[in-house]
Amino acid sequence: MFKKNLFKGFLMMAIASLLLSACSSGDKGSKGTEKGEDGKDKVQLTLWLTPQWEGVLDASEEGANHDSFFKHAAERFSEEYDEYDVDVKVEVVASDQRDELLNVNLNGGTPPDIFYESVFAMGEYAHRGALVPLDDAIDEDAKSDIGEAYWDNVTFGDEVYFYPFSHMPGTLSYNADMFKAAGLEEYIGDEDGIQTWTLDEYNTILETLKTDLPKDEYTNAFPMSLYALNDQGDTWNLAYLRMFGNEFFDEDGNIILDDANGAKAAEWLKHIYDEGLTNPGAESVSSNDTIAMFQNQQLAINFTNSVLFNNMKADMESGQVPEFDARLANIPSESGDPLTFTYVTGSAVFDSGDETKIKVAKDFVKFYSSDEELVKSSKNGVPVRSSVAEQYADENPLFAAFDENAEYVFSFTGNVPGYSQLRQVLYPELQALYTGEKTPEEVVKSYQEKGNVIIQESKEDSVIFNK
Amino acid sequence: MNINRAAFKENMTAYLFIAPQFILFFLFLVYPIFEGIRLSLFKINYQQETFVGLDNYIKLFSDPVFLKATMNTVIFVIFIVALTVFFGIFVASAVFDKNAKYVSFIRGSYYIPVMVSMVVMSMIWGFLLNPANGLIPYITREVGLPTVNFLGNKDYVLPVIIFVTFATNVGQAIILYIAAMIGVPNDLFEAAEIDGASRMQVIRKILIPSVKPMTIYITIINIIAVLKIFVVIQLLTGGGPNNASTTLMYFLYNNAFKYNQLGIASAVGVIMFTITLILSVPQLRAMLKND
Repeated sequence: MFKKNLFKGFLMMAIASLLLSACSSGDKGSKGTEKGEDGKDKVQLTLWLTPQWEGVLDASEEGANHDSFFKHAAERFSEEYDEYDVDVKVEVVASDQRDELLNVNLNGGTPPDIFYESVFAMGEYAHRGALVPLDDAIDEDAKSDIGEAYWDNVTFGDEVYFYPFSHMPGTLSYNADMFKAAGLEEYIGDEDGIQTWTLDEYNTILETLKTDLPKDEYTNAFPMSLYALNDQGDTWNLAYLRMFGNEFFDEDGNIILDDANGAKAAEWLKHIYDEGLTNPGAESVSSNDTIAMFQNQQLAINFTNSVLFNNMKADMESGQVPEFDARLANIPSESGDPLTFTYVTGSAVFDSGDETKIKVAKDFVKFYSSDEELVKSSKNGVPVRSSVAEQYADENPLFAAFDENAEYVFSFTGNVPGYSQLRQVLYPELQALYTGEKTPEEVVKSYQEKGNVIIQESKEDSVIFNK
Repeated sequence: MNINRAAFKENMTAYLFIAPQFILFFLFLVYPIFEGIRLSLFKINYQQETFVGLDNYIKLFSDPVFLKATMNTVIFVIFIVALTVFFGIFVASAVFDKNAKYVSFIRGSYYIPVMVSMVVMSMIWGFLLNPANGLIPYITREVGLPTVNFLGNKDYVLPVIIFVTFATNVGQAIILYIAAMIGVPNDLFEAAEIDGASRMQVIRKILIPSVKPMTIYITIINIIAVLKIFVVIQLLTGGGPNNASTTLMYFLYNNAFKYNQLGIASAVGVIMFTITLILSVPQLRAMLKND
């Protein structure tokens, strides 16, 4: 009798709690507006970004921070916007926490209104139906000022989901001082250019750095960075896997790494690792570790992109990191053509379910992505707008070098759905390669199999593929 | 009926007093469990939930990473709990009858790591063991010893995590054992002394049987804690190399927050809940027996 009553009691409480929680979640999508002091309706927006450039226009400003630009843009927007009284809350989130934070907030019904990030990392959310298209926020001026290739990059299906702002070409950076110390003067390129080495030259550089770099001058130093702890910086790992001519994706967006060229590339990675031409322990070293090591002159060659490179140069000037002669180089390939890619960065608007907030968020994105003064900040990466690139061409000669590189750019995501999850499959395979648990052939085979299952499942779930 | 109503009225005040706690308990503990079970039967994406029956469970048991995570979790539970109990008894039985100041010093020394956040401890071990710029690999390289990547070698990574977790947690077991041993009646020791029992015999025949309820308690709470081991994995190894140090909790976290597979993650949660429930039965029975 007691047990029966106890059970009934439990059941009643469970039902009550279910009802309570159902009621509490029932106000999702309600209007986020109230009257402000000036009589205009108040709208509060949340903007998230991962660390990009520092400062409003550049990192030399006093108090320059990763959120400076967006805070400044929000201030100006609040002053100039006449439809609503807008308050924008800007939050910088760590790149390696992005997906965790977004998934938690999406499932909890509290996504940010705007996210500024590299498109490749956010495309997944367009496929999942979490973003709203931005076609109505893009005018003819923007279409003509921003090149076709960038629009292709931000278009999913037939609609534009990101307002492109700048792009960050991915290359290698090298310490020219360490090269000189190892007697590698002939391989040092122009200060304002991007040096291209053949694969044979690159192998020679690594070997020479290993043997001839003065140990007393550069203690605990290694020729090149190699990392596979997590998915951060994995685009360079993807590039290395293309070094011997593998195309990576076929026309249907399936991975085709499992061939002789793919295995050869994996073998090359294993070879340079085993020969001590890279930092040790690649399987448990992160890209962040190698950035710190490069800045401490413990690595002669590391990965970089234009924003990372500019930030490092600014830190050198301000004395935060030791000064040395850092220059850019392309990722070499067997064919001799450099391998290069770029991250288009821009803003996406999340479907918060509140029409007013979505409208204001789109207006804000349009404002800072097209305002004549604000778009100048895109010079911290490489501007997607021709007008800005031309304006700063003299100040930043690298813009021309990146432009020359453009013909070698490959699409590293293949625009496939499920790319975020695909990234989680690559690094465990690379770990297995470096620890010797799998052969290069097994690694490319296993990655292809697992990756294609993810792509297939993601295609079935994609709102864009199933429109 | 009238009696029931009268009894209910009489007890109304008591029900009202316990109501806030009960509501919070059901809202934040019982409801999530039911919701977790429900979600484990669905495939969830941002726009819809599709009922898939036991598909998530079938998928899990055919996933080698899940099986590896389960095996790793079992290894962690067995070794960490055994080490904690053994070392706890060893230290406590060695010091419990010594000078009070000395006992306090030992208790304090072992308890300091328990008070330091696991995040801080993991980061410090990370600084020490990072194969590229960590202190220990640097020293071994400098003195010409063969370098071992403790975080990246699949044979060493489990012992390293076991050691780090054990070293951080053992203080609590020592404190509890010392308290339990101090409470053992003195006449037992006096009788043993008269009978000429050695120190080992006193420990084996008197101390260990006397602190058996504490051993059960420490075993159960440590099993439950180790089943949820996460921070040290996330910060030291990221589950690597090649998932060699992935645990059930880390696998759940990855599925829920990185891969956005809420259905699969819920299924892992349900399995972990079931294991914990089964392991808690002996403790619950022991508690009920005492009552």
